[in-house]
Amino acid sequence: MATNTLTTNTKFTWGGGKSPFSVSYGKLMMWIFLLSDAFTFSSLLIAYGFIRYSFLEPIRNTIVKPFDHLSHEFVREMGEKGLFVKEHWPSPELVFNHFPFIHGVHLPLFFVSLMTFILIFSSVTMVLAVEAGHRMAKDEVSKYMFLTIIGGAAFLGCQAWEWTTFIGEGATLHGNPFGPTSFAALFFIVTGFHGFHVFSGVLLNVIIYFNVLAGTYEKRGHYEMVEKVGLYWHFVDLVWVFVFTFFYLI
Amino acid sequence: MEHTEHLEHTETPSDMKSQIWKTFWILLGFTVVDIVLYFVLLSTHAMWKNWVFIILGVVKAYYIVGVFMHMKFERKALMYTIVLPMVFVIFFVALMLIEGDFTNVLRWLK
Repeated sequence: MATNTLTTNTKFTWGGGKSPFSVSYGKLMMWIFLLSDAFTFSSLLIAYGFIRYSFLEPIRNTIVKPFDHLSHEFVREMGEKGLFVKEHWPSPELVFNHFPFIHGVHLPLFFVSLMTFILIFSSVTMVLAVEAGHRMAKDEVSKYMFLTIIGGAAFLGCQAWEWTTFIGEGATLHGNPFGPTSFAALFFIVTGFHGFHVFSGVLLNVIIYFNVLAGTYEKRGHYEMVEKVGLYWHFVDLVWVFVFTFFYLI
Repeated sequence: MEHTEHLEHTETPSDMKSQIWKTFWILLGFTVVDIVLYFVLLSTHAMWKNWVFIILGVVKAYYIVGVFMHMKFERKALMYTIVLPMVFVIFFVALMLIEGDFTNVLRWLK
């Protein structure tokens, strides 16, 4: 009987010796956490689907086309023309049509596309940091971690602008000029919950970035912490794919 | 004991960097397809249009989870542990959309 197989270092490996699925404890737990978080986000998006489906379809917009002139009274005018009513879900095209520094032009989807590109870019820099970590290339890891943090911060800035514009037009949790009350409420709750995840992700990335600079993982012999925050960061990007689809595209 | 520790992990393919960039271009491409389709179908209100966007979202999710999150290279058992429970979500979606449709009918019934 090989009794000496149980004398492995239990501080770093599983008690039984070999770790299940050939992944470390921390990574497996991150996956389990992300699964539970996926359920939470699914519930929110399903609630959105349910409530949206319980209203009548958006009214077809034949009045404004992309790049058309937008007046300052756009929301009120659309309301008077019967495009924003309580019985119909508003068309996202007529609500999220602004772009920073460009005033008076109907630009649906433009700003949110920019946000999506920013998040894809920060996802690719994150995975490059993980890849550099496998090669123990400290300088590359810190470079890509830094770029990921910049991407995350840029995304948060965009979201702050998006919220400010939306609130400026009169959207609150208990009412909005676009139609059903739940339209703005769901927008704030779901994008807010996602934005909070991005914020936490940036915070975690900053902590890990300073650890990389301090040489913590060099001493430890591996960059697995970068992989773990990477998993979380990609998950945030994954959720955005669906928020983008359900809130803006459909 | 030394300062370093041994970690068990599944192997990363040697061409990981090129796979990352390939996945990046695929994701970017699908997002551009999303945006182009959005403008082409702007005045179309049909159910199939929604499904096109949802399917494109699932395809993007496959690439993010598979390559960026390394799931393609992990043990199959781990993959099923994480992916299979999401089947319940599909069931939940179907349930709530049907329910939403009933609520829609009831809401305007006076």
